[in-house]
Amino acid sequence: MTNSVVKTICADQWRYWLRTKVATTVLLFGAILTLAALVVNAFHIHETTHAREHLQQEAEQRFLSQPDKHPHRMVHYGHYVFRTPTALSVIEPGVDTYTGNAIFLEGHRQNSAMFAEQRQSAGLTRFSSLTPSFLALVLAPLFIILIGYGSVSREREAGTLTLLLSQGATRQQLVFGKLIALTLASAALLLPLIIASMYVAFFSESAAVVALFCVGYVFYFLFWAALVTASSAIFSRSNVSFTVLIVVWMATCVLLPRLGSSVATNAVPSLGKLESDFKVEEKLRSLGDGHDVNDPAFKKLRSDLLAKYNVSSVDELPVNFRGIVAQYSEGRQAKVLNEFAENRMQEELDQAQIARQFGWLSPTVALRAFSTLLAGTSIETHHRFLREAEALRLEFVQGLNKIHAEKLDFKLDMNRNKSEEAADKAVVSASNWAILSSFQFEPESPSARINSATVYGFQLLLWLGLSFALLQLAVRRLHP
Amino acid sequence: MIRLSDIKRETRFVFGHRQFISTLLVILLLSTAALWSGHAEMQEHRATIERLLEKDRVEREAALAHQKNFGSAAYYTFHLTYAPPSPLAFAAIGERDVFPWKHRIRMLALEGQIYESDTDNPELAFLGRFDFAFVVSVLLPLFIILLLYDLKAKEREAKRFDLLNVTAPDNHAVWTTRVLVTLVPVVLATLVPFVIFAAINHASVGTVLAACGVVLGNVIVWTVIVLMIGAASRFATFSATHLASIMLGIWLLSTVVVPVVGHTVVNATVETPQGGDIVLTQREAVNSAWDKPVYDTWAPFVATHPQWADYTEYDPKRDSSFNWKWYYAFQQVGDQMAESLSRDYQHATRQKDELAGYIALLSPSLLTQRLLSDIADTNVDAMMGYENRVREFHASLRQFYYPLFFKTPEFSPARFEELPQFTPTIKTTSQEHTNEN
Repeated sequence: MTNSVVKTICADQWRYWLRTKVATTVLLFGAILTLAALVVNAFHIHETTHAREHLQQEAEQRFLSQPDKHPHRMVHYGHYVFRTPTALSVIEPGVDTYTGNAIFLEGHRQNSAMFAEQRQSAGLTRFSSLTPSFLALVLAPLFIILIGYGSVSREREAGTLTLLLSQGATRQQLVFGKLIALTLASAALLLPLIIASMYVAFFSESAAVVALFCVGYVFYFLFWAALVTASSAIFSRSNVSFTVLIVVWMATCVLLPRLGSSVATNAVPSLGKLESDFKVEEKLRSLGDGHDVNDPAFKKLRSDLLAKYNVSSVDELPVNFRGIVAQYSEGRQAKVLNEFAENRMQEELDQAQIARQFGWLSPTVALRAFSTLLAGTSIETHHRFLREAEALRLEFVQGLNKIHAEKLDFKLDMNRNKSEEAADKAVVSASNWAILSSFQFEPESPSARINSATVYGFQLLLWLGLSFALLQLAVRRLHP
Repeated sequence: MIRLSDIKRETRFVFGHRQFISTLLVILLLSTAALWSGHAEMQEHRATIERLLEKDRVEREAALAHQKNFGSAAYYTFHLTYAPPSPLAFAAIGERDVFPWKHRIRMLALEGQIYESDTDNPELAFLGRFDFAFVVSVLLPLFIILLLYDLKAKEREAKRFDLLNVTAPDNHAVWTTRVLVTLVPVVLATLVPFVIFAAINHASVGTVLAACGVVLGNVIVWTVIVLMIGAASRFATFSATHLASIMLGIWLLSTVVVPVVGHTVVNATVETPQGGDIVLTQREAVNSAWDKPVYDTWAPFVATHPQWADYTEYDPKRDSSFNWKWYYAFQQVGDQMAESLSRDYQHATRQKDELAGYIALLSPSLLTQRLLSDIADTNVDAMMGYENRVREFHASLRQFYYPLFFKTPEFSPARFEELPQFTPTIKTTSQEHTNEN
């Protein structure tokens, strides 16, 4: 009985929407945009993945196919790593277009990521982007408002509200009938996104992550449907409800995310790579140049080594002293580099955390954080890429230094600049280049991503709770 | 005809609404907050450059202090290059947060260095900048819609509509006055803080006027759109909120649909080389040089630098134990190999920007955004200009060092007094100014 009343009210609302052009136009427009975004993005991500995987293989191939060389030359030859996009970045590309996606790895230096796609967009996508997440986060709420701002107030203005209530429908049934109608309408925008999420990520992503990702968007849409229905019931006139909702939308979806970003920039000024590079150099200068075995910084290393092998000069050592120095100084330098790199990443993370606190003020910010973290397109995942690239860098550079120390004769090495023949002798075989391990970037484990997204899921839940509390208030205060 | 008494009456009327006053306050607040945040950020950019310049000098002097030949001096010294923000950059941060505005470079192959980026936090760039250009191009149209969509409907509802039309001597004048009285305070709330911040930043009068003109133009365009929709006879039977939905639809077209469709089309039409290819090509060229006969390096080098054709002979006794001039020659050759790819890449970026300029003609919001960053010198063109300044500077370093490598004079630290210094192109951001120069 009660169900059928709700159903009737819901069906009635739908008949009204189908009759008036605005609602159907909005829905059709929104659905077309969402589909277009999905298709365009899916192709783009597919292409990018392919291109970067290809570049990665090519880089590895080139490294391995280098001829016999002096091992230190391979340290400078270096290697490239490319970050392939995650499955869910079709829906939520996150920071991917703003960060570079390739890093050159070489000895003695930590390079930054190159080639951010955003630079190629000529400012067209600074406010909006044809990504499913932008449409869902920013535009879908506007569409829900345009469809539903007057769903209850219209009945009041037309005088049908009294009629409905006197015919036995309770206020509760009336408002929930409207809410269900609006929720169903917004599903036209939400469903393609959910189906696409499941489709793109079903095989390559953990089910829990995909499920939570979808639940986040469902909560967000429900929040707006409830808020819009509540507003249409609370305000007696449609145009007041409309104005209020548009103002709320502007603040929530457009203004607060950006305000958060600007506040974070100004609250935690970050040093930037260049400036911390200077500090790194300052510290490194005291550590000595790994190219120069006579650098006083290596005196202790030398005497310890001589004592260890019980010999009187480096020529008599069973290992190549130059290789030992290279290994030693690279390791010490990497420690300093990483200390500063970690500091910088922490600063960036602190900034991001401040911007994300705006999730307490805007559900849009909350869902943004929630979905980028789950999709593996947040700053955290980018940092993970940087860390893994650095680990690979240190691994192959130190591997080459070890080869330098163990497989290259010290005397041949010292004489390498005497003549071309001498240079040709101071090499190791190309088979040694196999120490390079292949690179395949994976985002954090599903449980780690879920863990870091939890607090933002909680923010979303809070917003959903608030909107339903508001809806209850609207029901209680609803008078014809 | 608009009479003074009309203006007085309408002003009293419009300002009698609490809603209007609060909207005005919100606009004033947003505009000020955006300007302040842009101002603070640009001050930080300037301060960063100051600090970097000092550290750069100290670091270079320290590096040069224990060098014994020109080759290793060139290897170990870095040079800071930078693009200082223009006086108006605070209003439109534009491309400054995705393009690098500071680089340290040295004598090695430039293609391996120039794509390094030290840009700001990507997550914050992704959330978007809250700058004045954003307030004007995206938010201001929404406020205009909110303030004007029920201009007449409000009167109808208050049952004053017919009365107003009948009693006013010229009923057009009533509505014109009301629109003016509504919008002039809105424009003032936006522009007064802007002018104050512009004065603090010593922006030239010409650029400030140009920026004000853009803002005013944007307001006029949106007012015309809103009023035309309100007055269109085909929408005569629509309710005020239906009209507002249509206006929001136009806003959506302008700020979202045109840009994203444009972006997709531009990306599909302009062929862009993979950035990764440039750096891979360059590295391959530089590193393979070690294993090739020296002639393979000298031939392409001499082709572009014929003046050194007779100096390529290598004498280990005269040169240091390591042949630096050959080393720098293959760095140069590495750049030459990647040159066409790199030129295509830059060309693609420019071409995309140019197409975006045409697309902007379809969207007042986009056009406003672009014009403001043109005036503030934070557009793609300015950022590419900086990249080219870096290229020029790197070329001047080569010009400085090549004679020192090839003619092999005695090493003397005094030579470094003539080391080229990077000077940024300081634009006063005034178009007329640059023309005069």
